[in-house]
Amino acid sequence: MLLSPAFLDELRGIVGADGLVLSTEGRMTYECDMHTFYKGAPDAVVLPLRAEQVQAVAKLCRRARVPIVPRGSGTGLIGGAMAAQGGVMVSMTRMAAVLDVDLPNRCATVQPGLINLWLTHAVAERGWFFAPDPSSQMVSSIGGNVSTNAGGPHCLKYGITTNHVLGLEMVTGAGELVRLGGKAAERPGYDLTGAAVGSEGTFGLVTAITVRLTHTSEAVKTALAAFRSMVDASEAVSAIIAAGMIPAALEMLDEAIIKAINAGTGAGYPEGAGAVLLIELDGPRAEVETQAERAAAICRERGAISVSVARDDAERALLWKGRKEAAGAVGRLTAAYLLQDAVVPRSKLPQIMRELVAIAERHRLLIANVFHAGDGNLHPLICYDDRNPDELARAKQANEELLHACIALGGSVTGEHGIGADKAQSLPLQFAESDLNFMYRLRGAFDPDRLMNPGKLLPTHPACGEGFRPARPVLPAGTWV
Amino acid sequence: MSVTTRALGDALRARLGPDGATDDPAARAAAAVDGCQPSWVARPRSLEETARVLALAHDEGLVVLPRGSGSALALGTPPERADVVLDLARLDAILEYSPDDLTVTVQAGVTAGALAAALAGPRQTLPLDPPGWSRRTLGGIAATAASGPLRLRYGAMRDLLLGVRFIQADGVSTWGGAKVVKSVTGYDVPKLLVGSLGTLGVIGELTLRLHPLPETEATGLLLLRGPEAAQEMVARIVDSTLQPNRLEWLDAGALAACGLPAAPAALAISVGSVAPAVRAQHAAIAEAAAAAGTRVETVGPAFWRAYDRVLAETGNTVLRVATLTSRLSAAMAAIRSALGADAAMVVTGCAPLGLLRVAVDGSEPTRLGQAIERLRGFVAEDEGGVVIERAPVALRTRVDPWGSVPAGALELMRTLKREFDPGRSLNPGRFVGGI
Repeated sequence: MLLSPAFLDELRGIVGADGLVLSTEGRMTYECDMHTFYKGAPDAVVLPLRAEQVQAVAKLCRRARVPIVPRGSGTGLIGGAMAAQGGVMVSMTRMAAVLDVDLPNRCATVQPGLINLWLTHAVAERGWFFAPDPSSQMVSSIGGNVSTNAGGPHCLKYGITTNHVLGLEMVTGAGELVRLGGKAAERPGYDLTGAAVGSEGTFGLVTAITVRLTHTSEAVKTALAAFRSMVDASEAVSAIIAAGMIPAALEMLDEAIIKAINAGTGAGYPEGAGAVLLIELDGPRAEVETQAERAAAICRERGAISVSVARDDAERALLWKGRKEAAGAVGRLTAAYLLQDAVVPRSKLPQIMRELVAIAERHRLLIANVFHAGDGNLHPLICYDDRNPDELARAKQANEELLHACIALGGSVTGEHGIGADKAQSLPLQFAESDLNFMYRLRGAFDPDRLMNPGKLLPTHPACGEGFRPARPVLPAGTWV
Repeated sequence: MSVTTRALGDALRARLGPDGATDDPAARAAAAVDGCQPSWVARPRSLEETARVLALAHDEGLVVLPRGSGSALALGTPPERADVVLDLARLDAILEYSPDDLTVTVQAGVTAGALAAALAGPRQTLPLDPPGWSRRTLGGIAATAASGPLRLRYGAMRDLLLGVRFIQADGVSTWGGAKVVKSVTGYDVPKLLVGSLGTLGVIGELTLRLHPLPETEATGLLLLRGPEAAQEMVARIVDSTLQPNRLEWLDAGALAACGLPAAPAALAISVGSVAPAVRAQHAAIAEAAAAAGTRVETVGPAFWRAYDRVLAETGNTVLRVATLTSRLSAAMAAIRSALGADAAMVVTGCAPLGLLRVAVDGSEPTRLGQAIERLRGFVAEDEGGVVIERAPVALRTRVDPWGSVPAGALELMRTLKREFDPGRSLNPGRFVGGI
């Protein structure tokens, strides 16, 4: 897409010369997110400082029919923050301030570019934190978290991003600056905040976010249980939940990941284990201690080889160290991998694990697993050699089969990463045409010209583009109409 | 209207069977909303039948008022017209309960009480307790975004609704969300429907997240010198590691209505967990109470039943005031000043969320209307609101029961209504801004 000199002059007039990136090298650094499969450099990148600038950019682009792609830190995993059709990318890295911290009312208002963990840092000394904790939290932005409705290990207990967003200020695709929700717990009207969280930039550009803050717990207890197999560990997960506990986190790592981690950081996970379950409980001390004992007993009953409970913060940090470095450790296993994010009902974990093993064997591939077992959110890493086209083809095939298996068990395409360009064509697995038609029209209310992050989230229909056809009820023969 | 009443009856019966639609005068009178009698009452037994009724209404330009148990019909602007009241009470099946997954899928007409009974065996709960919750339908609780004391710990319907099947105004059956506890696949359509008062579609099925019932629960009552002392205590509890599942504010009227000892203000606080944790947290609360010069009276589980009954039954007029926790005592003063020093009222609410609920027996719509406008002025700076949860028709025709919505957001809401119900057949005029 060629942007006219007059258009570029107007952009420069809005954000200033230091807020505009036009050079080829400069634009190339914005060509993809962490899913490097999908590349598309924008024709221009703007780095606004204020909501008014964002709005002016949106109005200008709408007038000129130029696509807009919002971007936070670019740490997404779905090909979301890349310019599939060129156009203007709006990078929020210079809008990264904490605007207001209001602990008596348990909330804070921040700009979208603020790094997730920085908000917790700003309130931690006073005993508070921001609960959504994607693994990328030291680098990902809260605006990006809102865009993808990000999760994290602790959302088993605390919920995902949307459960912690009270209000948004955003510039819609129509160029309007609107305030949705706010500090108060209720506002009359449709829950547009709820609809906009997770819309992956297809509704507009978020310019401020009011979030709920959470008080830290009296006590935290972390335990690590090693099992012979993933199936045994999966059954322990179900048993813990069935016993009436909702741990803060319930994470599983398989043999391949354990070996890779032990080879690197020396987290000291039990050698020879087929699976490791990391269990974290937080809350009032007496509750945490009682439940930690029970969870440990359940793991032993379900055949755990070993169960260790961290005695202090240092031991707890050590238990988490391996989990947090898992993604990096995968580099020791493989040069390239496909990462999945599908969800199954928790009770179907043993079943999907059996299927996963069968799929890996059938396609002669290594599939490593590190995932949020407590809510059934898988993260299989399908390893392949990127110099071998046949292996890539098999990896893609395995990926498809696994996704279909998850959906067949009543699951979902993505638990926390989002759709982006990567999974848009998988939506019809889970939704009928009527459902997609509703979503398509919902987006149109915010972004009538469909210029916001085009090509993401919503699939294209082979026959009627993004439109999709609703199915009206069929009446019995002879019905009076 | 392009069909006569008789022809409409034929059309409805063709879709619902002979006992699925009635124009019996007694049934029509019983189904009247704010005195507005429908021509027909439709009682579908399935989603397919529901869809057929809506498709007919859409094609013929009929006005449909959906209803569940009927407990929240006095919410919103009184309707101007009603062709069909769509009674969803027969959609009362629990479709799929998976205790291991802590999820359940129900039809919209299932009451919260019926569901609670089904979940009792495995000791699980859907922690939604809006006033009079056990008789209310889950579809109705979703459509009205009604919430109660347990919202403090578990969130409201928006946090617990995982997936929803609904029928659009033109009869198209549509699904949003997922049946698993964690999913970000597609737009969050369930959240759009929660609180939309049936104006975008009629909720037919809900997939809900459940929680384990706490092993034990204990409730304490703190009697306090006044609203300032109550607010201080709330602030102390909010900024602590205590994890109450309910922390309700009660004014003097609420204490009297519940048959409790008299005091200018009180807090009811319950903790649910394993027994040792319940004991330890209550000890900490007792310590905080002692520091504030009061003590904790232990009340049994019967308290919450009595409290629920008081909330459900007290006052012909109920206002929902959304302010901020830090402004609760100021809000109490504003309420008192707006309603008059001599007004008999019952004020309760979820203190850590800044929500208050004011119940009065109002007889003078003019004065009450002015009081509501003054309160709206008070909460404006919190970006909160004052919604009339129920009131006589005279008040709700005089004062907008919803209050104002910021212009930009309202325009988006109107756009959505135009998109999804262009013929305005679903609850027209009853929602915010005339939607």
